[in-house]
Amino acid sequence: MLQTNLVPSLDPNPLPAPYWLLKALLIATFTFHIVAMNLMLGGGVVALLTRWRAKDREVSKRMFHDIAKKIPILLPATISLGIAPLLFVQVLYGQFFYTSSILMAWPWFLVLVLLTVAYYGFYYVSYESGQDTRRAGAVMYLSVLLVFLIGFLFTNNITLSQTPARWGAKYFASAGGWHLNLSEPTLIPRYLHFFVAAVAVGGLLLVFMAWANWKRDRVYAGQLLSFGGKTFLYATMTQFVVGIVFLFTLPLDKRMLFMGSDPVATGLFLVGVVGGLASIFLMSHAVQQENIRLAGIGVPAITACVIVAMSIMRDILRDAYLKPYYDPSKIPVQTQTSVLALFLGLFVCGVVVWVVMLWRYGMFDGKAAAAPKSPAGGAQPE
Amino acid sequence: MNYPVWDVSFGAGLLIAMVATLHVFVSHFAVGGGLFLVLTEHRARRRGDTELLAWLKRHTRFFVLVTVVFGAISGVGIWFTIGLISPTATSDLIHIFVWGWAIEWIFFCLEIASALLYYYGWDKLSPARHMEFGWIYFISSYLSLVIINGIITFMLTSGAWPENHNFWRGFFNPTYLPSLVFRTAICLALAGVYALITASVQKDKALRARIVRWSALWTIPSLAVLPACGWWYIRSIPPYVWQNARGMMPTASRFAGFAWVLLIVVFVLALLTLVRPAKIHLAFSLLVAVVAFGAMASFEFVRESIRLPYVISNYLYANSLYAATIPGDGGFSLAEVQAAGILPSAKWVSIHSITPTNQLAAGQQIFRVSCESCHTENSYRGLAPAIVQHQWDLAKITVLIGGINFMHNGVMPPFAGSSEERAALAAYLHSLAPVSTQATESITDGKAVFQHNCMMCHEVSATDPLFVNLDKDPKTAADSLKDLTTIFPLMPDLKLTAEQRTNLVGWINTQRRGMNFSAAAQGGN
Repeated sequence: MLQTNLVPSLDPNPLPAPYWLLKALLIATFTFHIVAMNLMLGGGVVALLTRWRAKDREVSKRMFHDIAKKIPILLPATISLGIAPLLFVQVLYGQFFYTSSILMAWPWFLVLVLLTVAYYGFYYVSYESGQDTRRAGAVMYLSVLLVFLIGFLFTNNITLSQTPARWGAKYFASAGGWHLNLSEPTLIPRYLHFFVAAVAVGGLLLVFMAWANWKRDRVYAGQLLSFGGKTFLYATMTQFVVGIVFLFTLPLDKRMLFMGSDPVATGLFLVGVVGGLASIFLMSHAVQQENIRLAGIGVPAITACVIVAMSIMRDILRDAYLKPYYDPSKIPVQTQTSVLALFLGLFVCGVVVWVVMLWRYGMFDGKAAAAPKSPAGGAQPE
Repeated sequence: MNYPVWDVSFGAGLLIAMVATLHVFVSHFAVGGGLFLVLTEHRARRRGDTELLAWLKRHTRFFVLVTVVFGAISGVGIWFTIGLISPTATSDLIHIFVWGWAIEWIFFCLEIASALLYYYGWDKLSPARHMEFGWIYFISSYLSLVIINGIITFMLTSGAWPENHNFWRGFFNPTYLPSLVFRTAICLALAGVYALITASVQKDKALRARIVRWSALWTIPSLAVLPACGWWYIRSIPPYVWQNARGMMPTASRFAGFAWVLLIVVFVLALLTLVRPAKIHLAFSLLVAVVAFGAMASFEFVRESIRLPYVISNYLYANSLYAATIPGDGGFSLAEVQAAGILPSAKWVSIHSITPTNQLAAGQQIFRVSCESCHTENSYRGLAPAIVQHQWDLAKITVLIGGINFMHNGVMPPFAGSSEERAALAAYLHSLAPVSTQATESITDGKAVFQHNCMMCHEVSATDPLFVNLDKDPKTAADSLKDLTTIFPLMPDLKLTAEQRTNLVGWINTQRRGMNFSAAAQGGN
């Protein structure tokens, strides 16, 4: 069996833009996707955590309901922002990504089914959480569980795409598309690394909600800040343990990239560690002092830097795994200048339209959060 | 051959078809339904019709739950599925149209954002501003159709792209405009079809009647112009490609028939809604939706089928081999694989040479990398049932594989393997459905001989070379069929018994009696 030569050849069409641009778009759009995903999944987890909160059941119910209403917006945001990195990963790493997807075709296909069920579940919870919290809670558990599972399948696929040496044994044992990548030592730590980050960002979602309520309902806002801030703190502390385990499950040469052998990777790793520590320190200070600006701006700003650093590190790690199989400098490039310019122009227009829409909706003047005024044109409220 | 093949026992093609047809049925509603929302709101506000407005708000919720959730996920689902089943074509389309996809993504994001703002804005925004979001939604969703239409039609008619590889030439290809107009009409029709569903559950009968009549204004004119749009669309497809849907290819022809019939049925049903609009029942509105789904799915089946043997016209065959050798094709053009052989070329096979002991296993691997992108063993487009139906013995299977690209108006890519590989594939297919030579030769009825041996390439027609050129004298004619390759070198070397030849000629002659050859010849000129 010629298993060393299984990596598919590139297709004959050149890249329609310089490699660096496509790479930058991949990392940038992935970062936005992962932030939205963290808010959505983390929000779901934190909503479930409110059900375990012993203090003041009424407040917990209110928190649950308030978070539940946001998830049907965060999930489409996650999907929309996920399409671009899905596109660019296919542009740059198609031969790895398609192959690993085919090896685990059924679980990968199942992602669509799980996502549909989870999505409708989140909508159900957002409609029902005000009335029947028990059933809504059960559905929330189910939806969050399904999203967990989706994340796990993603981690399987991405790790499998980076380890072509495993492909042959799996495929020649069965071509039915039922494989996962369970024997990969980094699988679980890597997955937990993403999951715990999501919980931390879910805590930040509560902090943002606290901020939105700060002037209107200070008591509730204080409760949100406290619960969200603590969730962030515990999750970020846990992240240090998970991160270290992840680092030490990496093969030595990959681990050393972040520990000195590659200056950029090491610098980013330091940004991650220092940023993580700083955010723990500042958040605990903000919670104690009820400093909503620090919790709502300072900590998220640092967290954003950490997420960007982590996204780039993730990419460096992928390229290190694929180095024996992949040489980007050999891919022919033929820039489609006119279409690229059109894309960039439309992208700017799209962002402008998006911001104007949010502005005209009243998202920036607190009107959106205000109680409904008059029903539109006499339409009866449901 | 470049990628592993996902072995879907019930048929990979069927899986794509399921995901894609469900998606298009929702995504076209997502476009037309957007215009429906904003124009209905305008109408209701202008007339001060508060009941209609209240219904529209409920309809918006239904719209969001169907399009923003299912529509969006199934759209991503098509990407997932084609990547799993046709990775080479997907990779080509991604690389050729990266910026097209990226532009579509911008519109998609605006579409989702504005849909949610419209939905959540019902009770929060002034009427004018609320409708503003509706318009943004409709425009961005229509623009996403404008983009994706270029890529879908490129697969059917790649135009001048294979020669000049110019993005715009590929994008604005010969079927771009007719397809866009055709799909626009479908979008508007579906807006009315879906509105019937939420209308039919309204308790207020007068309101129900108003909505049904309003939705008929969307459905009936749009359905009425569809045949004209379809005719324009068909005229833009190269005639030899459209031949597939006119009897030469069983699947395409069958679905073309379904599409027309179901279109008429849905039109009649739409007219019937006007008879007693206040009494439209949910079951009836669902029936309309199901028939409309059937019509649309049939159309998509035809479009997908007639582009065969290509998946990207004149560029990539359905079995992922490039039609011409191109720099950077990785050795996966038809000519290169024909020169080197399938097993030595393919990456994802474990057998690279055939020995007397591994022939069946090698045949199975050849089947997987050459045939499984469209066929299964026993299910969707199953080969074992076809072998049994036509009573093909091993010799016939072997011969037919050699001329497979002539079957059904050239709907299959040429077999790319060596004669040894052909024998291995034939042995494997024969093992799935062993038909003895005795059984093959026991078919002696002339018509049956034709159906079992000739019908894959020839049709009963005054333009078909078999019916035109076969010698008038029955004995000379029967003798001429002894060695088919002397008639035409590319004919398969099928061996019929003397009795089969005589009866076949007899049957052909009875068919020829009713044919008007001179009219057919003039028509051909």
